[in-house]
Amino acid sequence: MSWLLVRVDDRLIHGQVVVAWGARLRPARIWVADDGVAASAWERDLLQSAAPDAEVRVATLAEVAGAWESEAAAAGGAFLLVRDLPTALALHDAGACFRLLNLGGLHYAPGKDKVNEYVYLDARDRDSARTLLARGVVLEVQDVPAARPVSLASLDPACATS
Amino acid sequence: MSRVPALVAMHADLAAALIRAAARVYGPVDDVEVLSNEGLSRDALERAITERVAGWSDGGLVFTDLWGGSCHVCGASAARGRGSVVVLSGLNLPTLLDYLHNRDHLGVEELAERLLQKGRESIRLQRAAS
Repeated sequence: MSWLLVRVDDRLIHGQVVVAWGARLRPARIWVADDGVAASAWERDLLQSAAPDAEVRVATLAEVAGAWESEAAAAGGAFLLVRDLPTALALHDAGACFRLLNLGGLHYAPGKDKVNEYVYLDARDRDSARTLLARGVVLEVQDVPAARPVSLASLDPACATS
Repeated sequence: MSRVPALVAMHADLAAALIRAAARVYGPVDDVEVLSNEGLSRDALERAITERVAGWSDGGLVFTDLWGGSCHVCGASAARGRGSVVVLSGLNLPTLLDYLHNRDHLGVEELAERLLQKGRESIRLQRAAS
């Protein structure tokens, strides 16, 4: 598999991704699966300039799902970033069959409960998490490679029950 | 010429610490805003930066610590469409001091180019004397 990291992070490309995970895993490509960003030429250019050591591909969910198998077989390795859990679920629905999902940054917004310092969830996030867990996807909370990964279900028991 | 305003937006406590360090060398530092990205989503950080730069009628400088970091990306988003708001990433203490010494007599563009040059020159090696 050349997918090195599939990550939920509302900051998309930022320091932890570029410097910490990027330096550890050295991806050739960073895919950003986001219909909104993909629709804005200006935002695409900005994210492309933000990770100078990798090729950044900003694409719609349908485009990423369509490229899933070919990227998995490609040389060089790739990261995939989505902004929230419902987007991760929609991508899985569309055919991106990831088995491990890293939760790296889901920051506070009104209506969200604190799970830890960098993960806050609302009911819709938890619905998405439960659906992914039921499909056998492993959900791990880990902001940087040097931190210990912890399962979401152990941090937030509400995600483990229906 | 009016003073070029600045916002220092960085990880953790770095922005506030840089200003404290600058004050030790330069004296009291006023008219510089400070922001941490701690706990902020991309949207919240972009809003926080936009609120601070919105009042700059003649532009200004957004200083960040890391190219590609959230402060840089959100600073670039907040600066979009505001002609003379310039983002400078990789700010260090010598460059901040040079800003303080020159912000009252240079325009935004001229100051930004000067700081880029000064910042590059400020990283130096000191080898042990033989």
